[in-house]
Amino acid sequence: MTALWNTVREAVPLILHGNPTLFTVIWFTLQVSAIATAGAAVIGLPIGLTLGLGRFRGRRVLQVLANASLGVPPVLIGLALFLVTMPKAPLGSLHLQGTRQGVFIAQTILALPFVVAFSAAAVQGLAPGLLAQARALGAGRPQVYALALREARIGVLAAMIAALGATLAEVGAIVVIGGNIYGYDQTLATAALYEANGAHYQDAVAIGLVLIVLILVLIGAASLLQLRGGTSMRFRSAT
Amino acid sequence: MAYLWDQLRAAVPLIFSGTSEILTTTWITLRIALVSTGIALIVGLPIGLVIGLGRFRGRRVLHILANASLALPPVLAGVFVLLVLLPQGPLGSLHFAFSIYGVYAVQTLLALPYIVAMTPAAIQALPPGLLAQARTLGAGPLQLSALALREAKIGVIAAIIAALGTALSEVAAIIIVGANIQGDTQTLATAIVSQIYDYGNYPAALAIGVVLLVLILALMLVLTVLQQRTSGVRLRFRTSGATGG
Repeated sequence: MTALWNTVREAVPLILHGNPTLFTVIWFTLQVSAIATAGAAVIGLPIGLTLGLGRFRGRRVLQVLANASLGVPPVLIGLALFLVTMPKAPLGSLHLQGTRQGVFIAQTILALPFVVAFSAAAVQGLAPGLLAQARALGAGRPQVYALALREARIGVLAAMIAALGATLAEVGAIVVIGGNIYGYDQTLATAALYEANGAHYQDAVAIGLVLIVLILVLIGAASLLQLRGGTSMRFRSAT
Repeated sequence: MAYLWDQLRAAVPLIFSGTSEILTTTWITLRIALVSTGIALIVGLPIGLVIGLGRFRGRRVLHILANASLALPPVLAGVFVLLVLLPQGPLGSLHFAFSIYGVYAVQTLLALPYIVAMTPAAIQALPPGLLAQARTLGAGPLQLSALALREAKIGVIAAIIAALGTALSEVAAIIIVGANIQGDTQTLATAIVSQIYDYGNYPAALAIGVVLLVLILALMLVLTVLQQRTSGVRLRFRTSGATGG
């Protein structure tokens, strides 16, 4: 037990006297999470809302596909992106391999299923009469979508939190597409892998502690936002 | 597009020519998934049942903790399990570090939150009267657990699917604890990383990726069919019980 404890104790000064690389890694991790989650929201929310609210053929099949895509191993997504961005491949001219842009794009793709599947489920969980009533009162599609989004905001935020958590913890896809280049396109999670593989356990623990704190802060803040959103649900039942 | 097609065509023969290597890796992957999910079930189901059925103080706190542990990044689980298993660590005498047993251990730890968190959620979603009625009719804890498990089968199988899924897709924790040794601790997912990152052997990575995808689809299909079939029986049973009562 003492050996374990010593490793952890030696890790803390490493964070406090943080080397510039650690700050680069933290900053890049934040960038990746923000860009990927926001990108997935911009692309995924319209898809999720259409899946949840639309009344067209094949909607259920698409929703099953969206749910199933949650089960695809991220490393396969990284592999697929890697193959289509090989120099001679269709997207080779984008030069995404071994770059930060590649990591942003891989992570956005990874976050997408969470946003699509969970937001579709959230709007489907709304009281059935609510949207029908809005439609009957003459709400157009954008208005119905806006209403559904507002009413299902707790579920939609949960989707965002899941997407954020996935981007923070991801390793396989980032390593495959980005190459896990020290001080350049490492996130905290892949940096922890890098240090552990190099048997630099104190560094791995230090990075791990920072990652835990970051996750607690970000997910905690998002959950608070979610809870605050929940208070106005009371307003709805009062009307 | 032609380029991608060539890659894929180059990969397919590799699946069959490299059969023994890919077969070994597939077998290791399956073993890790089954062992870790099995142990997680043995350990986690009782905990999940206690949280789901129990009526004691702190039950909700435990459930929140179980949910929160789902957000634990596997890479951290890997680092801490390795530190515990290293020769100078508390469990160093087991010599599990960089061995398949270490990988079993860390994967079990990663599968556990799914079982522990999703079982009570499934039980709590049961119609409220069902368990109360069983209690009134004199069911003991064991009978109650059996009833809850049978009725919440869909949720419990979903937890098993999730636990198996993490084992099949995990990369970081397995590389850290098992050192990604081909033929020993390497899974299909970590083999893909190794083929690209260490060897730059892209057709091999693609071949392994195809096998992994097929394996996951097959497992999920079998479990989903199992899940839906039991659900049909259960629902019919329940509704007939409701009309009868």
